[in-house]
Amino acid sequence: MTNPSNPSNPSRTRDTALSAPARVPTELTTSVPGGVGSSPHRPDAALKVRGEFAFASDLWHEDMVWGVTLRSPHPHALIRSIDITDALTVPGVRAVLTHTDVPGTNRYGLERPDQPVLAEDVVRYQGEPVALVAADHPETARRAMRRIAVDYQVLDPVVDAEAVVAGAAPLLHPGGNIVRHQPIRRGDPDATAPVVVRGTYRVGMQDQAFLGPESGLAVPAPDGGVDLYVATQWLHVDQRQVAIALGLPVDRVRLTLSGVGGAFGGREDLSMQVHACLLALYTGRPVKMVYNRQESFYGHVHRHPATLRYEHGADRDGRLVYVRAEIFLDGGAYASSTPAVVANAATLGVGPYEVPNVAVDCWGVYTNNPPCGAMRGFGAVQAAFAYESQMDRLAEAVGVGPVEIRLRNAMRRGSTLPTGQVVDSAAPVAELLRRVAAKPLPPPVDPAEVDLRQLPGGVANTTHGEGVVRGVGYGVGIKNICFSEGFDDFSTARVRVEAVGGEVAATVHTAACEVGQGLVTVLQQIVRTELGVRRVSVLPMDTSIGDAGSTSASRQTYMTGGAVRAASHAVRDRLLAMAAAELGATATDLVLAGGAVLSTRDGAAVDLAALLGADAVERTAEWRHRATEAVDPVTGQGNAHVQYGFAAHRAVVDVDTELGLVRVVELACAQDVGRAMNPQAVLGQIQGGSAQGLGLAVMEEIQISAGRIRNPSFTDYLIPTVLDMPPMRIDVLELADEHAPYGLRGVGEPPTISSTPAIVAAIRAATGLALTRVPVRPEHITGT
Amino acid sequence: MNPFEYRRATDVAEAVAAVAERPDAVFLGGGTNLVDHLKLGVTRPGRLVDITRLPLDRVEPLPGGGVRVGANVRNSDLAAEPVIRSRYPVLAQALLSGASGQLRNLATTGGNLLQRTRCVYFQDITTPCNKRMPGSGCAALDGYTRHHAVLGASPQCVAVHPSDMAVALAALDAVVRTHGPAGQRAIPLVEFHRLPGAQPERDTVLDHGELITAVDLPAVPATRRSAYRKVRDRASYAFALVSVAAEVELRDGEISQARIAFGGLAHKPWRAQRAEQVLRGAPATAATFQRAAEAELVGAQPLADNAFKVPLARNTLVSVLTELTELTGATEPTQEDTP
Amino acid sequence: MIVRVNVTVNGEQCQADDVWPGESLLYLLRERLGLPGAKNACEQGECGSCTVYLDGVLVCACLVAAGQAQGRQVRTVEGLADGAELDPVQQAFVETGAVQCGFCTPGLVVAAHDLLNRVDRPTDPEIREALAGNLCRCTGYEKILEAVRLAASRRNPGGRPGEAAEGESR
Repeated sequence: MTNPSNPSNPSRTRDTALSAPARVPTELTTSVPGGVGSSPHRPDAALKVRGEFAFASDLWHEDMVWGVTLRSPHPHALIRSIDITDALTVPGVRAVLTHTDVPGTNRYGLERPDQPVLAEDVVRYQGEPVALVAADHPETARRAMRRIAVDYQVLDPVVDAEAVVAGAAPLLHPGGNIVRHQPIRRGDPDATAPVVVRGTYRVGMQDQAFLGPESGLAVPAPDGGVDLYVATQWLHVDQRQVAIALGLPVDRVRLTLSGVGGAFGGREDLSMQVHACLLALYTGRPVKMVYNRQESFYGHVHRHPATLRYEHGADRDGRLVYVRAEIFLDGGAYASSTPAVVANAATLGVGPYEVPNVAVDCWGVYTNNPPCGAMRGFGAVQAAFAYESQMDRLAEAVGVGPVEIRLRNAMRRGSTLPTGQVVDSAAPVAELLRRVAAKPLPPPVDPAEVDLRQLPGGVANTTHGEGVVRGVGYGVGIKNICFSEGFDDFSTARVRVEAVGGEVAATVHTAACEVGQGLVTVLQQIVRTELGVRRVSVLPMDTSIGDAGSTSASRQTYMTGGAVRAASHAVRDRLLAMAAAELGATATDLVLAGGAVLSTRDGAAVDLAALLGADAVERTAEWRHRATEAVDPVTGQGNAHVQYGFAAHRAVVDVDTELGLVRVVELACAQDVGRAMNPQAVLGQIQGGSAQGLGLAVMEEIQISAGRIRNPSFTDYLIPTVLDMPPMRIDVLELADEHAPYGLRGVGEPPTISSTPAIVAAIRAATGLALTRVPVRPEHITGT
Repeated sequence: MNPFEYRRATDVAEAVAAVAERPDAVFLGGGTNLVDHLKLGVTRPGRLVDITRLPLDRVEPLPGGGVRVGANVRNSDLAAEPVIRSRYPVLAQALLSGASGQLRNLATTGGNLLQRTRCVYFQDITTPCNKRMPGSGCAALDGYTRHHAVLGASPQCVAVHPSDMAVALAALDAVVRTHGPAGQRAIPLVEFHRLPGAQPERDTVLDHGELITAVDLPAVPATRRSAYRKVRDRASYAFALVSVAAEVELRDGEISQARIAFGGLAHKPWRAQRAEQVLRGAPATAATFQRAAEAELVGAQPLADNAFKVPLARNTLVSVLTELTELTGATEPTQEDTP
Repeated sequence: MIVRVNVTVNGEQCQADDVWPGESLLYLLRERLGLPGAKNACEQGECGSCTVYLDGVLVCACLVAAGQAQGRQVRTVEGLADGAELDPVQQAFVETGAVQCGFCTPGLVVAAHDLLNRVDRPTDPEIREALAGNLCRCTGYEKILEAVRLAASRRNPGGRPGEAAEGESR
């Protein structure tokens, strides 16, 4: 395995005396030709299919010990005392730590530092970390953990978000229980309309359910700092929070991304990062922590469960006059990214429609439920289920079809959002709807011919086609791309070109987290396109380079892609200047292509490898998108967002109304991606995102009762299997956004947003039921 | 996980003795349930006696037309046995509707019968559970009860039995053969699993150290039709909300014989004798099936979150019976008599 | 109690000492034998990411007690490729984009490998049923189906064609 501290690369040299781990992330050197717009294979694909890719849970160090976390069994309790003496007596135990051992500030949080690294005198959710153990064997650590005696005084948990908004709950945090209330006011607050539809909708708590559990390896360094190899979404925000908790300067906490087994928002917040570093510093040994699945359910935030009350007013043709809504998001015990989720649900709360009069209020609150934060779709998912359900009600009220009602109200380029922001790039909402509506419908089921595995119930011999009714439904959604509300959103990239063995080779280095989406492939493609170089390696992502921001908000191809393009341009400019001197030409007459510099004037050429000789050209670029601004706290007005993504779905379902079983027969999706940087990866995002939306529609929910998670396993929290996910028909539109690099538009989130309402609409069409809550379960169809 | 001793048994008597001599010893079969419980701390045995290498892995014909299934026969192998597929389709279907291919390759016939409940409170060692820790209480009663029992529960326990296979075996009138410290015995499957009563920690009537060696399937006449249906929250790889195993024989449009068992409703595979009584001798009509279901489910006592199971069980039973009687009804009455 | 386990992994005799009997075959492979290919997504038999062959039969390594592997043959994802040459299933996963985060990939590759050993040209429903014990959270499974179809067509080019592809893309 390649050592990550590659001495030939001065930008990555480290002064760590402890040897780096034996199994760590490696430089990705596989480089299949292909620039922007093609679909070269992932540079990590061969490693992954061989089982040789180093995921965070695969890391290994010769001297390492194992860390485990003692968590609160109670959703709300005071801690009277913690006694670790018995745990320390277990042979093989290296350290037992509590909050008194946190050397820095015992608080962290993405937007507000309100969460203790280890609980002090109170626990606010079931699963809150209370103590840590390190031992020679993970089982030894777990046994010792069970011998820590914590004396709790159990308190009643606060579990009802609406009651919190009403003020009927004891104070959970010093600043109050409302994390954020964001109103949106536009037009006439008293507008009236001849057609009015109302509804209350509910969205259950969804889990990211990434397959790779939270894990990492912390290695103590001779400088008193620590090197952390970890699966995360944002290295630098982890680094800052870990340093504060450890009381160390930021440069003593160095992070390297190890293989990430999916993220979907669930790795934005810290999990084991500080804990492993603490144990490493106390034991002087490398410490590995790997959550099991049950712990993973307690160890990361979830999608906010929501209650949404909507009223839509329209004229008799179904054109929207007003939308009024109240949205309640349960943020659970700590703030996490609740403020930003509130902003999304509020500002995108009416959907991709033109609405002249808007009054939306969205609250995110503290309770003693599990903390909620980022998950793919981030506030837009909850709102979309409500506003799309409302659009179907409106269609029925005015007597037009579901596609027609949406076409009559669809926003377009130039439309004004409820925030007052004008949409200044393509917004092909109507085109996306027309495309999914125009696709041929799958043939009806013939019970005599069909494979039972293609009927509701799958392999359970459940339905033989009798009593099965078909339904078709539509959904369309809107998502902001990149960070909003005035956040200084930027990314950093370094590109280096040198001759290796007579061939010119490029290396790209960023801190942007590859979590599975294929960013590493796209970065290679960009460098190939910009520099005309075939061989491009991707260095492990780490904090030795500047911040790249989070792998979230569908932003990394936009942001780090933009940064890599900018760095490539700087490298290109230097190479052309070198070539101009060599050829006696002017740089503006020269281009890079095929590993050479060519003159467009006289065809003269110089080979890049020869031009470089023993030298390397390396440039670092920091790149920002257009500035945004905060929305007004009272009116919600402001240019909060930089870009929008749109997707539309048509769902076809078969429903066994007797047994309450749903089979999604087909999903059609149309999405505008601005520019398909890697068409195969774009399809993968649409298919995977749609599957997560399907999960929310018909099966996925963390069951909470009295603040406790009741299904923290993959037996009890169900995600779609290959038998649940139907074939998809996909149209990818490429309407360039002139403000974005390559015209691209973030891809990852929109398909997750619109698939859920489309599927539920299809079930409603099949059954005639109201179905105001997701997930829809058999009992909601059969009645009880 | 607590420390324990691991032993690999080479014959039945040795295995039985190795468990019988220690109160905290248990048998280890395919491991799909026990290994998970060891990790969760649900079970803390002091000794594991691995029985997977005992020669109990054959499917053999019995005199009189029945079939003996060795306790170590894997679920996947049993489902693929030609004799099971042709004569006991309810069993093959039940097996294939359970878990995943990888798990069916590990799970054994004996082990499947001893699967413990998937009650989330039983699995969560931080909550009270009379089954896991007798006398500690039942957290489910005031908790999340969507998956719990509607029939035969007790104030001490409302858990359900998770097996699909056992539901089919209950409908087939299978017999469990055991070898224990006190000798061998044969236990009708419908008596093998217990209702919780005041002792929910006991899932079955087995004594400590008593080893399942085989399951005997009685002969079935060629005219008998059987099927298994399972309703769950996704298309595969999930436990039953409700399942039905049914065997019927028709004569002249009348049901001459019926054996019905429900899964997902009770602490044990629920043999529906009241429904069977309604069905026997009655015309094979939708009205009959409805009456049969009502007769069985009239005594159901739903909890806060699982009232839906009652109509779901009714509908599932009706749909299975409809399927089975349509199939047989389409052919001329057979000349063979039921034994 | 500590035991020694001898097991043949990918054709090589392996021995692990000081094995605590509560360890699973998965732990044995990953932490003692240096073979982390089989993954630890749930460790409860609920996801299939630790799928390996045990005596030629597909199992979840997380539910096999280490002691139960004594004297048996294990084949993991690391044992599928022939040196630099990927197995056709692996190659098809690479080419079709069936790999995203890759955490489910080793289990799915082994499960698909097993399917194609049993069925020359599986139909889509057969592929779906065979892979239903392997969860994937990234791909929505479409490209995994494509990969298995592609691998089947290459492994058995003269075989009976499976059913037509269910969907279409782009």
